[in-house]
Amino acid sequence: MKKTIEDLSTHLRDRALELRKLKETGVKIVGYFPGGFVPEELVRSCSAVPVGLVRGGDHDAVQATLSYSCRFIDAFAKAQLGYRLLREDPFYQMIDLYVVPIVDRNTGAIASYWEFYADAEVFKFGVPHLRTDYAFKYYLDGIKLLKDRLEELTGIKVTDEKLKEQVDLYNRMRGLFQKISYLRKKERPPISGKEFIKLNHDSYYADLSLFVEVLESLLEELKSKEGPVKRPRIMLTGSTLAMGDSRVVDLIEASGGAIVIEEFAEGVRPYNHKVLTDGDLMNALADMYFGRRMPGAFARPATGQRFDYLIKLAREFNVDGIIWYNMTYRDSYNTEGFYFEKLLRDEVGIPVLKLESEYDPVEVGPLRTRIETFIETLKTQKGA
Amino acid sequence: MIIAGIDIGAATAKTVILDDDRIRSCAIMPTGFDVRQVSLDVMKAALEKAGALMGSVEFVVSTGYGRRSVPFMNKAVTEIICHAKGANYLNPQVRTVIDIGGQDSKVIRVDEKGNVVDFIMNDKCAAGTGRFLEVMATVLQLDISEMGSISLTSKAPCQISSTCTVFAETEMVSLRAEQKRREDLVAGIHKAVALRIANLGARVGYRDEVILTGGVSKNIGMKKSLEDAIGIEIMIPEEPQIIGALGAALLAKNELSKH
Repeated sequence: MKKTIEDLSTHLRDRALELRKLKETGVKIVGYFPGGFVPEELVRSCSAVPVGLVRGGDHDAVQATLSYSCRFIDAFAKAQLGYRLLREDPFYQMIDLYVVPIVDRNTGAIASYWEFYADAEVFKFGVPHLRTDYAFKYYLDGIKLLKDRLEELTGIKVTDEKLKEQVDLYNRMRGLFQKISYLRKKERPPISGKEFIKLNHDSYYADLSLFVEVLESLLEELKSKEGPVKRPRIMLTGSTLAMGDSRVVDLIEASGGAIVIEEFAEGVRPYNHKVLTDGDLMNALADMYFGRRMPGAFARPATGQRFDYLIKLAREFNVDGIIWYNMTYRDSYNTEGFYFEKLLRDEVGIPVLKLESEYDPVEVGPLRTRIETFIETLKTQKGA
Repeated sequence: MIIAGIDIGAATAKTVILDDDRIRSCAIMPTGFDVRQVSLDVMKAALEKAGALMGSVEFVVSTGYGRRSVPFMNKAVTEIICHAKGANYLNPQVRTVIDIGGQDSKVIRVDEKGNVVDFIMNDKCAAGTGRFLEVMATVLQLDISEMGSISLTSKAPCQISSTCTVFAETEMVSLRAEQKRREDLVAGIHKAVALRIANLGARVGYRDEVILTGGVSKNIGMKKSLEDAIGIEIMIPEEPQIIGALGAALLAKNELSKH
């Protein structure tokens, strides 16, 4: 029996309960920060369940941290503590370990907040900003320490055999994500941006084996499907696209725009590379998760490489405009965003709209005005 | 052909009635609390002046932050697009529209057809808006309408460093305690707002001709400070508050011709 999107919905509806029961039997639940630097393969190789904590967008969760957080930390980071403190989201309560790769002060703050106020086990490791041999070794050491910590937590050794099995499964998922996403290069994308983003967010919670089967049947279904022609075509990029933070996505689609490709540091899985399995597997994990990974705005010297990549994506997906969406106080993205906007406008000729959010309900009106105007302007300019 | 544009702004509600290409009438009133009610009232006021009935209006485009709450609108369009259209109707040479509204400010680059080429809008903050000036007028015990002429008599505008309305109010209280002259304070306030707007729009760029719209453009001191800040002469329309509603009405005409 092929697994379908309906099966996935049923699975996710019951997932928290299922995991709670598994936890009672001694299975460890490992939460991690969804920035694409945690090799989930390691978690599953220890028979633990990885859960990407990727929720955001709620003002309540930000408010809940006001007594503990400093002002200039981004709202997504704050909300990660908020969900734990509010005790409403079961996934934020049930984890046995929270893995946070530190890329900048915001991710650093999340780890510290959890250590100080969440009464939780946190495993931090650093992600270097540079791309040198030394930096590679540093990252590799980080994930080796993570492996040790996971083995200690679960009492299960990560063997090459188990790791290879998980790498193959994750490679399949990444490949399927890429194929599904790339169907959106078509004039009539068979899947909307909102649907694709939801699928991506679901992947942080769903059981991997089931999820891969769902993607397989979905890909088959989408290959022959044609969606409506929607213009303007939009690339959405920036710092963080959290699950539940749907305002910008909804406003773009409601204004008639179609999101055809997205690139984010957090909340959207990198799916363009696979882990190579012909050499040392830990080395191969570091190579995929760090070495070949498109660096975020916090890395250096990332900007030129990132911009070339974003412009390439924009052209491949035939986008009419780019919406840059970053969290307020996410300095690296904020700074880069202004430069990117200028470069694109002056040299590449693709219009850019830069947006910011701190998950404040008061932002909705101005966000709507900006997005509606931008989409309307693209329609006029492109005759789209 | 009677068509209408209605602009429900943060501070005032405006309506323009067009008879083909000609402005037949307009009305302006404070927005108040009830957006639905004020949209009916301002529409009625403009129709009365035009000697027309609601039933004769063929198409209504609404704009402004309350655009979606206008019960009788046929289409809602953002104020940025409407200001561009309205300014273009008044003068097709206009390439930059600076709109300082009650709640936010925008700098809009416009093409020869009145289409938006680029725009920028201030953040969720009152700095550089009409609201900022209102708060400062209260501190200085001035009527908002007096600020312009008073500021022109200043020979040494004060330095107001805060861009935040609340902090600027505090700063104003200390400057007042230092016995600074009122005209210097007002001129300093205008300068602070002007610099804020100049920086805001630098990304979009200021190109000839520049037009200033929104209620704040009635303030002659503000116009002068802005001109100093951007180094370009600024045009002020006869009725600066109705440009958004005018643009909305012109878009209504376009919409009608499509049907």
